[in-house]
Amino acid sequence: MPEPIITIKDLRFNYRGVKKPALDGIDLEVNKGEFLVIMGPSEAGKSTLASTINSLIPNFFNGKLKGEINVMGRNTREQSVAQMSEIVGMVFQDFEAELFSTNVELEVAFGPENFAEEWDEIKRRIDENLNYVGLDAFRRRPPSTLSGGQKQKLAIASVLALKPKILVMDEPTTDLDPISKMGVFEITHKLCKRDDLTLMIIEHETEEALFADRVALIQEGKIIKIGPTREVLTDVDTMESLGVMPLGIPKFFKRMGASDLPLTPDEGVQAFQAQGWKVDSAAYDKKVSEEKAALAKLTEPLIQCKNLEYSYNNTVKALNGVSMDIFKGDMVAIVGQNGSGKTTLAKHFNGLFMPSAGEVTVNGIPTKDQGVFKLGQKVGYVFQNPDHQIFSETVFEEVAFSPRLRKVSEEEVKVTVTDALEAVGLAGCEEMDPFSLTKSGRQRVAVASILAAKPEILILDEPTTGLDYAEQRSMMNMVRKLNENGSTIIFVTHHMWVVAEYAKRVFVMKDGQLFLQGTTREVFAHAEELQTASLRPPHFVEFSNKLGNTFLYPEEMLECMEGREN
Amino acid sequence: MDAELYLDNNSFIHRLDPRTKIIIFLLSFVAILLFQNPVWMLPVAFLIFLELYVSKAFKNIYRIRVLLIILSLFSLILWNFFARGQTHWFLFLYKESFLYSIARTLLMVLMISAGVVLISTTRNEELVLGLIKLGVPYRVGFAISTALRLVPTIASSTVTISQAQRSRGLDLDSGNLIARIKKFLPLLVPVFISTIRSTNIFAMALESKGFGARENRTNYLRLKMQKSDYIVLGLVIVFVIASVTLSIMGYGKLTGLKNF
Repeated sequence: MPEPIITIKDLRFNYRGVKKPALDGIDLEVNKGEFLVIMGPSEAGKSTLASTINSLIPNFFNGKLKGEINVMGRNTREQSVAQMSEIVGMVFQDFEAELFSTNVELEVAFGPENFAEEWDEIKRRIDENLNYVGLDAFRRRPPSTLSGGQKQKLAIASVLALKPKILVMDEPTTDLDPISKMGVFEITHKLCKRDDLTLMIIEHETEEALFADRVALIQEGKIIKIGPTREVLTDVDTMESLGVMPLGIPKFFKRMGASDLPLTPDEGVQAFQAQGWKVDSAAYDKKVSEEKAALAKLTEPLIQCKNLEYSYNNTVKALNGVSMDIFKGDMVAIVGQNGSGKTTLAKHFNGLFMPSAGEVTVNGIPTKDQGVFKLGQKVGYVFQNPDHQIFSETVFEEVAFSPRLRKVSEEEVKVTVTDALEAVGLAGCEEMDPFSLTKSGRQRVAVASILAAKPEILILDEPTTGLDYAEQRSMMNMVRKLNENGSTIIFVTHHMWVVAEYAKRVFVMKDGQLFLQGTTREVFAHAEELQTASLRPPHFVEFSNKLGNTFLYPEEMLECMEGREN
Repeated sequence: MDAELYLDNNSFIHRLDPRTKIIIFLLSFVAILLFQNPVWMLPVAFLIFLELYVSKAFKNIYRIRVLLIILSLFSLILWNFFARGQTHWFLFLYKESFLYSIARTLLMVLMISAGVVLISTTRNEELVLGLIKLGVPYRVGFAISTALRLVPTIASSTVTISQAQRSRGLDLDSGNLIARIKKFLPLLVPVFISTIRSTNIFAMALESKGFGARENRTNYLRLKMQKSDYIVLGLVIVFVIASVTLSIMGYGKLTGLKNF
């Protein structure tokens, strides 16, 4: 007999000063020991819902809360967040901001200390939880020296030390590379086997939802669909219409007209063979050779690195002998684990970093002889977090910043800004306050403000992080359009499906060295090598690899199926 | 990026009890403030520099060198406006006022150095615990440590933000003073906003881990005063008492100095 641990009835919440409700009549029962994943587009109310569980709403965020919410017999409205922390653990997306101690042990000790546990008990909980998440060897290290994945594991351990009955995680893996993600999710799988713990996780990436008991899809503060994981994840159309990424494998089978939809690569291979389908190898070969021919046309090198080395503080070599060419008109992805040197590499292209040894040339001239200011006109760099650059009161002013610094006449500035905003799909938003825009809107303002300098080369650092599936798509479609109009694009990313669908060529970084390079298809065909660089192709690519060809996304494979009219 | 203030060196001073270090820090303020004559400040200066040397904390002084040099230059000049003496050199400069400004500058540099020693050798948690054991309320101690904790956060976001703006063509190194100050706006706004944002998450994380859930809290860190603590404290106290006595006896004054 399932026993509800969280009961929510007709829950409504409005943030103060916002008319549109963030939660608009949520009814939800979560059972003890259950693992529930919540998915939905940006601003759907996922984080808001999570914040009501440990009473951050209404204690921390101001607004109007209506309806009933009951967690383990407690009415959260009458509890402080600290009181709730005994039963509800909360892990946030931003692991940088949630860790604050100077060593790993003390981070875990903080929770039990607040509940005045005895020293021996605190020690026991530190041992138990560090062991549980596999950070035993790092007890004395300052959290700031850990990798992203380790930081998030530590955040989980520090919350588990309070022995919560419910663990709520708000996009815990968004900022992590694929294998660190796996590491965090392995812990989650271990956790969900414990029947003393109920898990509620907000997740963007559908592949990670596979292990849940149930999945809930949320939009505009309402639950659109909730049900067993398989049932929800195979409902490809609903997911796509909500702006949640559907899994490639069930999508493919659905388009092929199958009725029983497999979810994982292994299931997919079995189902594929059972159906007796075949890939048209002539069509596949034609596709591959066309792709090669198109890339072979790109011959004019814009950026060249020769034995590039870079070390921080003359000690740690962040880059160790990188040689590469990036050609005019290319669209290149740089991928690799957190700390593999990909951002350090990209920052050499516009002169933010200068090589410790070796050389980087842009247009044939060493970056050392050009400097950031001059290079900025050729090489635009969009930083990961738009909030690290936006400062103006209007979108127009923000985008005009760069051309004005370069002493362009006011009339020309107007034209440039209009063009740049047009290119990012923000035409007509000139007078808006950039801070009032959504994350994806601010990201676009950031891209526009770089485009306004009319660079030939555009570097984007994690352009899709923090955006939902639909926003990621429209961001990348926009970038692709820029590429088609002649810009050379370099993007650094963790999102493998973005690489699969949008990059022409891929550079894989590992430990400061170039580990693999080639066309996207070539690189993704090397699944095993990728694994050693802490990367993993999307499920769909894995599935097609197992069948003998490398297809990057479902539509591509559909075109090459034998006996199928397109 | 490495922006931590605490230096993990495990020196003799690192191993001292935080209470010892806090008391030394406070006592050195007393010793610094006693004398007007810079020559008489040299013994304290020597001791503080010895601490810096032993704890290898010069690295942190080096980090703030630009700030220290600017402050020192201003201080060396400005204090002359607030004092007069008998031996007139030129303009507003007197021998006495100049010595006095040296002493004031030294005072400032030494106070900062004493603070740097404390912060570079004491973990945040140790500092809080030391303060609590010395009678400071937990919340006050925690507030102090939170302020210190913000320094590396702000420093590293400032680095990222200045890179982002330099990529857009912002050139911080040219133009006159006013032009340069104006150029800091594109840095300040994002630093301010991102700091507020991360402080917000920090506050949520704190409460979600039960901050303030119980009237009392326990501490996993255990402090123990050791023999070396008592010896060091004893020596420092003797030094300060001697300084106070000498100062009461009238040593270390600048004769003929009139300050206002």
